[in-house]
Amino acid sequence: MSDPPIPAPAAPLSRLEEAKSSFCGLDLAPRLEQLGRDGWESLDETTLTVHLKWLGIFFRPVTPGRFMVRLRLPNGAITAEQLDLLADVVDRCGEHGSADITTRQNIQLRGLLLEDMAPLLADLERVGLTSRQSGHDNPRNITGNPLAGLDPLEWIDTRPLVAAIQAALLGPAGPRNLPRKFNVAVGGAPDSFLLHNDLAFLPALRDGILGFTVWVGGFFSAQRNELAVPLGLWLPPEQLPAFTLAVLHHFGAHGNRAARNRSRLMYLIDSLGLDRYREAVQAAHGEQGGDGATLVEHDGSHLVSRAPRDVCGVHPQKQEGLSWVGLNVPMGRLAADTMADLARLAREHGSGDLRFTESQNVVIADVPTDGVGALLAEPLLERLPAAPGPLLAEAVSCTGNRYCGFALIPTKTTAQAVVVELEQRLELPAAVRTHWTGCPNACGQPYMGQIGLMGAKARKDGQMVEAARIFLGGSMQADPRLAELHHKGVPLDELPEVLEALLVEHFGARRRSATAAVRS
Amino acid sequence: MAPRPVAAVACPSAVDAPPDPAALPSPASPERWSAMLRLRAGDLSLEPWLAAIEAGRLAPEPDLLEALAAHLDGAAVARLLRWWLAQPCGDPALPQRIGRCRDAAVARELRRGLADFPAPAVRAALLPLLGHQRSAADFPLLRQATLEVAPAAVRHAALEGLCVGLGAWPLPALRSTLLALTTDLDPALAAAAVDGLARLPGARASLLQLRSRALDGAVAARLERRLARLPANPLLLLVHGRAGGAIPAEVEALAVELQQRRGAPVLLRALTDGGPLELPRLGAPLGLVPLLLLPGEHVRQDLPRLRQALTAWGPLRSLPFLGSWPAWQRALGQELAHLANTGGWSSASPALLLHHPIGSPLGRRYLDHLEAVTGARSREAAYSSGQSLDSLLSHPGPVLPLALAANRLTEALAPSLGPAADPLLARPLLRQALLEQLEVLP
Repeated sequence: MSDPPIPAPAAPLSRLEEAKSSFCGLDLAPRLEQLGRDGWESLDETTLTVHLKWLGIFFRPVTPGRFMVRLRLPNGAITAEQLDLLADVVDRCGEHGSADITTRQNIQLRGLLLEDMAPLLADLERVGLTSRQSGHDNPRNITGNPLAGLDPLEWIDTRPLVAAIQAALLGPAGPRNLPRKFNVAVGGAPDSFLLHNDLAFLPALRDGILGFTVWVGGFFSAQRNELAVPLGLWLPPEQLPAFTLAVLHHFGAHGNRAARNRSRLMYLIDSLGLDRYREAVQAAHGEQGGDGATLVEHDGSHLVSRAPRDVCGVHPQKQEGLSWVGLNVPMGRLAADTMADLARLAREHGSGDLRFTESQNVVIADVPTDGVGALLAEPLLERLPAAPGPLLAEAVSCTGNRYCGFALIPTKTTAQAVVVELEQRLELPAAVRTHWTGCPNACGQPYMGQIGLMGAKARKDGQMVEAARIFLGGSMQADPRLAELHHKGVPLDELPEVLEALLVEHFGARRRSATAAVRS
Repeated sequence: MAPRPVAAVACPSAVDAPPDPAALPSPASPERWSAMLRLRAGDLSLEPWLAAIEAGRLAPEPDLLEALAAHLDGAAVARLLRWWLAQPCGDPALPQRIGRCRDAAVARELRRGLADFPAPAVRAALLPLLGHQRSAADFPLLRQATLEVAPAAVRHAALEGLCVGLGAWPLPALRSTLLALTTDLDPALAAAAVDGLARLPGARASLLQLRSRALDGAVAARLERRLARLPANPLLLLVHGRAGGAIPAEVEALAVELQQRRGAPVLLRALTDGGPLELPRLGAPLGLVPLLLLPGEHVRQDLPRLRQALTAWGPLRSLPFLGSWPAWQRALGQELAHLANTGGWSSASPALLLHHPIGSPLGRRYLDHLEAVTGARSREAAYSSGQSLDSLLSHPGPVLPLALAANRLTEALAPSLGPAADPLLARPLLRQALLEQLEVLP
């Protein structure tokens, strides 16, 4: 195989790239205790807002002095013991503390002081958790089938594969300074929608052997939104770590470091062309010790054929006599006492194994079928229902302006209030997935929602008011597509009426008053 | 499923030049977002933006402040604070959005605002930012605002100021402030004080003090949660022991109760035990507590040797010998006072501390100090030489043998003095005082 053409550096490094290359944020770890004593104000702006993110520590301008820590939860898996620890961390922050389940099956903790960081990182390590390289220009939390190992429908248990990729990425050969963030996902079931990732491994058969076909380049941003495209390669499961390293090292070496708004992987693919890009990563795979003979051409067809399931409710596992119970976490936000109670439920009613989903909900695994009733009778399920309404179950939301300076609206509280209001007004024949995001950065993935909502401002009665743009038509079915703009700005106080009409017109909803009249 | 090409959603891309204040798109404009991106990333002259805000030509919307924040130096923040303070109805969230800069000019403006604008909303907005400045000179102001009778929002803001500057304040004063707040009638304030105490050095000891206070129910539960994550380290109590390394029963009973109260292993070792030192694997730093009462040869020679041997087992935290602890010396004085009261002795009757013979100048200085603290006189009791103890029977005051547990001295005294010869651990007040001191050790 010939060497891939390497694009010459056409422009000088951006200022941010210069700052990133000055030192690695991981080197701050031994200094955390001293930094806690000196205070965050002693740090220069770049260290505070950039380098600390290599340790998963986020300075939040909206809550100066109160930091966020984002963990890594490969495959969204967490144990009751680990969740107990996180509950205590949040509890120590009192009224400033909370946790959010993210759209990458991850969790982030809010309200921490810099003094908390050194003991927290030691505690995380003690229980087998890490927050390392969970922010900024790093490979983010690796997602997998949230039901891996439990799922009667799964093709393959993604947990060991995801764990092996993470071990490779955080190991000595892993990347430390990418041009931009990078999302990796492994699919294991017919509903593993992954095309919003930079690198997606979709389960695929080749000559009757189960492996993965590679899709690349998916991402959402304020400038451009793409679903991944097939790279044209298939590989066996054991090659996933080396191949991921190869893709990331190639991206690190050749990605755009001059203009951040053109630095995601798809721009590199655009610049090389898909065929040349494929050849380049194949060569890099060999350099990473991968077995080149195992990478074979493939048409990209795969075994993912449907949108992700609603995990809420009681579902039989593939293990006889066991069920998983999915609980709805409204907008993915957890308080300390809820987290502690959730850990207790997992321990007392299941095996202590929990999973977070991309829809920001939680699964309690391994509940003996004859014990399901006792779990469903727990008072916590009044707050985290196992049978939420058809809108609440699939409502996904970004952080919103309580914690994020970019957000133009209070996303989570708005979404919660509107969804509850609509469920009171309407009967829906099926769940409708709404994605709420506070700004064009699209952290809440509005283009993936059947209905997407994006924070905005609009003029109403001569006043500037909080509003939402509405997107329609996103699909994660076999024929995936991104949602498109439907309305450029509905004032928030008009949102229930506008969405009610949309749900009636496009999703078969019936107004409860009308339903009652027909029945009577 | 077969792959399908997917079309990109076109979005405006940013260009390099930052916008001009007069040309900034309105918040409802779709162009606003890309303008903000350029504003954040570009080289910026702040003056036109500050001037436009001050003149009312530009509304300080949150997205604008977020974009400007990275460019603001101390002087600019102070200027915006001055402008905000002059507004009749300024957005209370504005100071927090711009006030992260630690700078003398910002600190001055915050102090001026707090002095000149007593409105609770203003104080609540500025007090946390004053804490960010981490100037020890501001501690009294923050402390007063936390403790004073004031709207809850102001007190909470002041406490948040203390919390975000935690390491900058004088520790004893900070600790006493937080301890005082734990019984506040506002449970949220009390809860935050407990969380603050849990972050300070020596947190376990401070929190254990709170168990005896009348706390709000939720605060008491929070206290227990914090203590649960501050486990006590294992202790090794070093005692003199009796022949052959035997541990007196009083000491064993003390160790059992202490282990139960601390929830951590408490090990015992006698100086008279000549056997090899064997410790279980502990997984935490070991606290070595020499329960020795006088600075004799055991303290000066045997203890350093044992300390050296223990370092091979892992991290070690060695405490001074018990007799040197001020709290123990005070407890001895209180016991003597108790004996004087209950025995009907007059206040003029001198108390007597009987001690093992000690010949070194250091030992003599220690006894002089103990006499000064307790008001008692010390007297050597050379019981091993068979000296007559008749003179003690006629001593017109309390007598206290300096022996932690039963030994030859207390046994020699018992026939003559009866209960007055009891060792120190047989005396409820002293035993309790020692237990409390040992319980709060890290």
